[in-house]
Amino acid sequence: MSAAAMSPDAHAIDPALAARVAELLGDYVAAIDDDTLEAWPELFVADGQYRILSRENVALGLPAPLVYYYSQGMLRDRVTALRTALTYQYVYTRHVTSPPRVRRRADGDLEVRSDFAIYQSTEEGVTTLYAVGRYDDVVTTHEGRLRFRRRDVILDTFGIPNNISVPL
Amino acid sequence: MDGSSTLHWPAADFSRVPYRVFSDRAIEEDEQQRLFEGPHWNYLGLAIEVPNPGDFLVGYVGRREVVLNRNKDGSLTAFVNSCAHRGAQLVRRLRGNAQNHICAYHQWCYATTGELIGVPQQRGVKGMGGMPADFDKAACGLKTLRVETYKGLVFATFSPDVEPLGDYLGPKMRPEIDRIFDRKPRLLGYFRQRVPSNWKLYLENVKDPYHAGLLHLFHVTFGIYRPTMSGRVIVDVARGHSILRTADIDEKKSDVDSAYAGIDKYREGYRLQDPSLFHVKPDYDDKVTNMIMTIFPNLMLGQVANTFQTRHVRPKGVDAFELYWTYFAFEDDDATAVEGKLRQSNFVGPAGYISLEDGEAGRLVQAGIACRPDDASFVEMGGRGKIEDIASLSTEVAVRGFWKRYAEAIGGDVGGAAE
Repeated sequence: MSAAAMSPDAHAIDPALAARVAELLGDYVAAIDDDTLEAWPELFVADGQYRILSRENVALGLPAPLVYYYSQGMLRDRVTALRTALTYQYVYTRHVTSPPRVRRRADGDLEVRSDFAIYQSTEEGVTTLYAVGRYDDVVTTHEGRLRFRRRDVILDTFGIPNNISVPL
Repeated sequence: MDGSSTLHWPAADFSRVPYRVFSDRAIEEDEQQRLFEGPHWNYLGLAIEVPNPGDFLVGYVGRREVVLNRNKDGSLTAFVNSCAHRGAQLVRRLRGNAQNHICAYHQWCYATTGELIGVPQQRGVKGMGGMPADFDKAACGLKTLRVETYKGLVFATFSPDVEPLGDYLGPKMRPEIDRIFDRKPRLLGYFRQRVPSNWKLYLENVKDPYHAGLLHLFHVTFGIYRPTMSGRVIVDVARGHSILRTADIDEKKSDVDSAYAGIDKYREGYRLQDPSLFHVKPDYDDKVTNMIMTIFPNLMLGQVANTFQTRHVRPKGVDAFELYWTYFAFEDDDATAVEGKLRQSNFVGPAGYISLEDGEAGRLVQAGIACRPDDASFVEMGGRGKIEDIASLSTEVAVRGFWKRYAEAIGGDVGGAAE
């Protein structure tokens, strides 16, 4: 599992790169909270990986993922299903995220960690805290832009409030 | 209280279910006494979760926390998680290993078998105080339950009278349990969902093949489950268990077209950009794509595509339950087979393409019936009258089977127009 601490050989990065990382993380949140989900898969590389993991399973060393997508195509499939196929409750979402902790790895990719809280609001405007957890990312440069090579969403709120429909 | 004593079942064939059973707190109390603490076996976990002496886990019998322990001699003990002294919660972690259990409050110490083995200051301090001379440690053990296992599934009961577990599971369920558990499972993880509906709405859901081909587009479009496949519903009426079994054989395209004419859940043009999660070699060559077994009162056990799991339906108040999934592979699975099961976890669990919709269905029904709490549901798909096996998936007979057994356990006045 990927819950380990950041690599010991990681190095700090310069402020300009840190700002580009923050922009990528902001674009991710906007795609979900603004309900422009079609933009979400485009933030990953073609063979990018997106997983949602229960902190309980991570702590126990058990591999079962809540979501395990290992290609941009699978992310697009999720969006298509949400738009046209799946039955789920419509809610507004709001992410509140921490500043990221960024380190450069020996292979040039970035390891990025940040914390999140996601609130859901019903169509009647009633808000509840939906999920709390951590993003554990590997970010790479692809065609001059930063993209996710991997994003693991590790849920403290693994007693899921009903279900997970849109990405976290 | 006026729980089940005033409950009226409008139809003797249980084709009507009074919505009160999903919202009445007095009935919830009766369920704790008559179902979970009554003459029934309650699922606690898999034996592989407590492999070594001292291993323990906390499970639930209805609302009661029960600790399952592996003893030194390899046997299993289950006790209620409450100290015999002043009632404090005894075991404070969900899982672990301990040679004995010590209450945090006054350090009373218990063996994994529930026996009281140590009481601080039993003989007082400086010659004063202490327990009375006739204090009997042997009479102050933890409240234990009967424990039995079948093929590595662990169950417990408060009842001294209920039949042995193998008989309770019965001859109709055991062959399907054997099909899966003749191989030793390997734990892959847990999923937990807090669903905002009464627990029995989930039991209805997993006993209802009618919805499975209509709510779940993924089932239908990608051929995991369609009522036009070879399917049957097996009901053990006396015991309250059932099986919904679907195999991808003998399906005719013309039947699919006819069954789904005008219904937007079968979409021939729907394509995945990456369908590799379907390219998983099945563990069995019997073409079974879906097998959902329910063991009365609140365990589901089964297979969806090539995923295998138990789902324990844990009541959390009258309008909420936890759905606790234990997801497993098999010890003889190679790395490719395990990877296939991890990929197909995308179908099931709280985020899965199929199962996420069942949580939504529960929410919708709980919200809907709150609008007419004194009414009853209409359960006639597959016919009225006798509750029996049927070689069709266009049926709700297993739902009626559940309610028949439930009413026998809980009570209420049964009768009405239907035969």
